[in-house]
Amino acid sequence: MDIIQQIINGLSIGSVYALIAVGYSLVYSVLLFSNFAHGGFLVIGGYICYFALRSGGMNIWVASFAALIGAGVSAVLVERFAYRPIRERTPVTLYMLIASMGMSIVIENIFVVTIGGRFRALPPVIPMEPVNVFGLATTSAFDLLSLATAVVFLIGLQLFLVKTKWGLAIRAASYNLKTAGLMGVNVNRLIAIVFFVAGLLAAVGGIFLSARYTLYPQLGSMITTKAFVAAVLGGLGSLPGAVIGSLILGLAEMLTAGFISSQFRDLVVFGILIITLIMRPTGLFGKSVGEKV
Amino acid sequence: MKKGFTLLTILFAVLIIGIVIAFGFYKFSNRTTSDSAVLSSAPIKIGYLAALTGDYAAYGITEVNMAKLVVEDTNAAGGVLGRKLELVVYDTKTRNEDAVNAVRRMIESDKVCAIIGANSSGINIATAPIVNMGKTPQISTVGTNPLVTVDSNGKVRPYSFRVCFTDPYQGALAADLAKTDLQKDKAAILYNVGSDYAQGLREFFTKSYKKLGGEIVADEGYRETDVDFRAQLTKVKRSGANVLFLPGMGKDMALIIKQAQELGLDIAIVGGDGYGEFMNEIAGSAMKGTYWINHTYLSDPGMAPIFARYKKVYNDDCKEFVNGTMAYDATQWLIDAIIRADSTEGEAIAKALETTEGLELAHATLTISPEDHNPINKAGIILKVDDNLKTQFYKKVEPK
Repeated sequence: MDIIQQIINGLSIGSVYALIAVGYSLVYSVLLFSNFAHGGFLVIGGYICYFALRSGGMNIWVASFAALIGAGVSAVLVERFAYRPIRERTPVTLYMLIASMGMSIVIENIFVVTIGGRFRALPPVIPMEPVNVFGLATTSAFDLLSLATAVVFLIGLQLFLVKTKWGLAIRAASYNLKTAGLMGVNVNRLIAIVFFVAGLLAAVGGIFLSARYTLYPQLGSMITTKAFVAAVLGGLGSLPGAVIGSLILGLAEMLTAGFISSQFRDLVVFGILIITLIMRPTGLFGKSVGEKV
Repeated sequence: MKKGFTLLTILFAVLIIGIVIAFGFYKFSNRTTSDSAVLSSAPIKIGYLAALTGDYAAYGITEVNMAKLVVEDTNAAGGVLGRKLELVVYDTKTRNEDAVNAVRRMIESDKVCAIIGANSSGINIATAPIVNMGKTPQISTVGTNPLVTVDSNGKVRPYSFRVCFTDPYQGALAADLAKTDLQKDKAAILYNVGSDYAQGLREFFTKSYKKLGGEIVADEGYRETDVDFRAQLTKVKRSGANVLFLPGMGKDMALIIKQAQELGLDIAIVGGDGYGEFMNEIAGSAMKGTYWINHTYLSDPGMAPIFARYKKVYNDDCKEFVNGTMAYDATQWLIDAIIRADSTEGEAIAKALETTEGLELAHATLTISPEDHNPINKAGIILKVDDNLKTQFYKKVEPK
């Protein structure tokens, strides 16, 4: 059953895209700019995990924890030093967008210069052996694990946003940051928390991507494009949209390559993107908010 | 806050101005030396084109490091024609457009006497028209596509050379290995649609394999930046192929092999000279029993002392040993040509390169065919990855 095989492949890759796209969308929903440096946080997480495992001799749980915290903290630092000064001086988000492009190149090149461009692989800490799914398809244990982890983290994020005080503040800020500030929310701290969460989720994606594929400085920029497409497809700023968009992207990639031709893959994926934007300019789950005067 | 920011801006501006001034001085002092190039004391400049960032960076960095070793050794022994050598290194960023710009700069502003590199057929094909117009010889280290040294009409490019064998030969070796040695009659190919090297090698493999009576049952493409090949591999699995031929580069091939294992694909694997030992780290146990056509092998007695020295200087195992070897020998070859030409003029060096005969290099004896600027009768090496994930010499194939 080829089709089931390809659907499982598509869901597993889509779920990893989702972890990254959600962080991307989260930042967009609050600050209304696309943080192109998001892929950099993923690479930072990947390298922290790599060195914790290889040189630090830690086990995968400690290494992952260090990677998550490390990537979260670097996201906060990037916001503090690269975006906040701009944010405080101009309301035009275009400048932050440009700064984020610069930041992504800076992060990538820091790794190229200090660690080198060589491809690295995490030690085999995550099981990879083939698993037979009800006799219908073969997938690796890794795919099921990454799917499960992505679901756990996405549910965790949802609980954080719905059940906690800061979650409420973030949701308020996504409607209107300025009003949330006027209501007594500490905007800078709120944004720091948003970046921390986004960086942390990116690191989860980063660990899975570098274990499944390979770790290299350019990994971030490749995946950022995909996460961006997924987020736009689902509606920028919408978290369920980012998840659905990522799954659609993962499935579209796998099914096109599997049943039409691998050369047509990008054509189909970006075709879907363009058609979605023509039919629903705000994406599948985007809310169209009129410009307030 | 605002004040702090202004202060920061000023500091930053001062820093930038400082860098610009320093660079200006550096450039200026450089100019004065090249103006006095008439004096025989000025160094002979050799351009080195390599991917130092981007997907092929691991290969390129090794090449440059190795070339630096040769230049240091030569200078320590008194230089060439009584002058010191100087390596002018440019990064291709694994992109043709950057390589073309770099070569322009090497020829027009650095005025190098010859260029070594780059570590990719596509880049050599892109830069060939420029070096031939600028009359500056270029030696490709691992550019195996035929079009690196001859144009599409089959005419030799007078200033383009290579130190490696070509893809028609490599494709035939791979086809012979798959069909005759391994007795596999149904092949699948997975190749990068955007790479001149992969396209060419796939074509030559297909031609030779069909001639031997084999059948190509799956022929799947992927894109340069792809990291997931499970869709293509699922198709390969369905096709019933019993051997998978990979004409790609290290990262893609390692990921393909790793994912093939995850999908439970039980298939023999034969690949081309894009192989790098770092693949064993990425793909792990899936690499066991894979075969690779290559130019040289790590335990080559001719290269052993050189690898030992490399390790001592750079504290690195030279995992991309093929690139290391080819860079080492390409640099030695160029030095030999400069000495024989007794000149640093592009035309004279090209003539000397073209008439190379029986030159003893570390990994082979080099004779160049004047018709196509390819080495004549270069042996192919077949490597096999053993159960301990060490890459072993499997056999050496002399051309018939």
